Amino acid sequence: MNQKAYYGAFGGQYVAESLMNTLDELDRAYEQAVRDPAFLKQYHYYLKQYVGRETPLYFAERLSEKYGMKLYFKREDLNHTGAHKINNVIGQILLAKRMGKKKVIAETGAGQHGVATATGAALFDMECTIFMGEEDIKRQALNVMRMEMLGATVVSVRSGSNTLKDATNEAIRTWAKTAEDTFYVIGSAVGPYPYPKIVKEFQSVISREAKRQIVEAEGRLPDVVMACVGGGSNAIGMFAEFIGEEDVKLIGVEAGGKGIETGEHASAMAKGTPGVLHGMRSYLLQDEDGNIQLAHSISAGLDYPGVGPEHSYLRDCGRAEYVTVTDVEAMDALMELCRVEGIIPAIESAHAVAYALKYASGQREKLGAQKAAQQVMVICLSGRGDKDVNTISDYLAGKGYLN
Amino acid sequence: MNRIEERMKQLREKKEKAFITYITAGLPDLAATKELLLAQERGGADVVELGIPFSDPIADGPVIQEASYRAISNGATVKGIFSMLEEARAEGLSLPIVFMLYYNTVLHYGVEAFVKRCGEAGVDGLIIPDLPYEEQEEIRQFLDVTEQTILIPLVSPVSGERIPMLLEQARGFVYCVSSMGVTGQSADFHKEVEPYLRTVKDATELPVMMGFGIRTAADVKPLQNLIDGAIVGSHLIRLLDENDFAPQIAEDYCREFKRALNQSSL
Repeated sequence: MNQKAYYGAFGGQYVAESLMNTLDELDRAYEQAVRDPAFLKQYHYYLKQYVGRETPLYFAERLSEKYGMKLYFKREDLNHTGAHKINNVIGQILLAKRMGKKKVIAETGAGQHGVATATGAALFDMECTIFMGEEDIKRQALNVMRMEMLGATVVSVRSGSNTLKDATNEAIRTWAKTAEDTFYVIGSAVGPYPYPKIVKEFQSVISREAKRQIVEAEGRLPDVVMACVGGGSNAIGMFAEFIGEEDVKLIGVEAGGKGIETGEHASAMAKGTPGVLHGMRSYLLQDEDGNIQLAHSISAGLDYPGVGPEHSYLRDCGRAEYVTVTDVEAMDALMELCRVEGIIPAIESAHAVAYALKYASGQREKLGAQKAAQQVMVICLSGRGDKDVNTISDYLAGKGYLN
Repeated sequence: MNRIEERMKQLREKKEKAFITYITAGLPDLAATKELLLAQERGGADVVELGIPFSDPIADGPVIQEASYRAISNGATVKGIFSMLEEARAEGLSLPIVFMLYYNTVLHYGVEAFVKRCGEAGVDGLIIPDLPYEEQEEIRQFLDVTEQTILIPLVSPVSGERIPMLLEQARGFVYCVSSMGVTGQSADFHKEVEPYLRTVKDATELPVMMGFGIRTAADVKPLQNLIDGAIVGSHLIRLLDENDFAPQIAEDYCREFKRALNQSSL
């Protein structure tokens, strides 16, 4: 068996024969790079001087007071380009350069990974093409403009549901044609091995910093670590350094859309079954014939019918717990964070905030106010909400939203 | 010996090249697909690849993507396709049939149950473009039991040193992809296509078939000494679509291609 490519029963390399040598070449280049002090130095230089790391671990005093638990936010929203996506992009583009590739391609849903990739491509002078579903192009016009300003070509994908899943299919097809000179920058902790491993490594900077910061602030590890999960890149980065700390509870929050019971959601792990999509074996939303189902979420970044294979593994072995939050709950939490803390989070991140508030209230009932107030939770605020103002304004006006 | 191996043996004895087609099952509906299979047998096709439509066909270009989408919308299901093939076999279809499908379809059905059902329904081979050699162990353990259905190996222009490994346990024929990328592009074969086909030929006794981007026998004429047959998919689907999926069109196309293919090899 292709053992190294698996997390338990999940992962693997379900790609065309023509990409197998490419994946092998990528794996070898990556393993060499992460052992090369010069590469790491360069990566950390750009994270500090260009991205603006380290990001703060902010103690949300008013929110903590109101919900009766110590709530800390890991401020990935303060990164250059507005989300955690850039951490991974800097790593992968440096790797692409090291491998002598001149072109990069990427898929994008909400556009955050597309913007991050276009940014990295501009910085390192590479030709950049971004695949984006026609539906998402409509929802995220601002990010499309950003990508174009940064010099990227945005290709509108019209097949299937015209969203992230289809943009990913098209990126994989293009990659299969052009792998000889083109590097595929995958934005989430998904895809064939070694991508889930690479994305995890380049996102683990989140938990390396957060672990040190929380110990400085509280003198101990947190009780709970929480992050939203679409494909799961911010979550795997937020969990990475805590997976081995068994007393730390890990919670991933998936998009429950209009409610799990309506069937219109994006919760691969709540309702999905294992299957193969985008080169990996993982939990997926699929119908009775094994066709992939449409995901639904108000958040374009969580609107994905699968999930990274390591999350499927963490779920099945019980190390992490995965829960869901509906569109309405996420939007309520988004407004709450705006008003109580003066932070406009991305709708994706608002899912983690929503469950954090629910969890804190639950702990207060379960443990009593005094004990709950001593509990410490770290929540990954993966991105800022500037990109979402159109969606938010439509939602508040009661107009619903696309998709 | 299964139907594919039997056919390959006959072709070798007659020194004929094979003509293999691909059609998407359930387009426009399963009754029409059955008629198209019978028509292609009459026209002299040697093997038909029956595409099992999947929602996310990452190895396929626009024509087969669209065909798959329409077939699914029109109600094609794996179970229905198995039953249709069983009926066609009962009506005398003796043509070797290969399912071309994505691995999720097999996994979702249950790998063991799927392989068993292939045996019952008369599926002679499987081509699974997203199941590379490294991931084949799971399905092979069941295929090895029935021995009725063969996993056809796919080889690409950049397979290079992987070729001997890919062909070691292979049966039936070798499917050589003519170019990088997806099905249905123009007939711009990979720049290294000749040395690539020669490497494959040297590595195996099996017949070598080439597919991706082929429309007429003339497209493969320059390579006639290096291949034992040609595979046509997207072009045939487009042709059928333009002609209301008339069985006669499929029959005539097969007859003409097969004739030209073997004439050009004289």
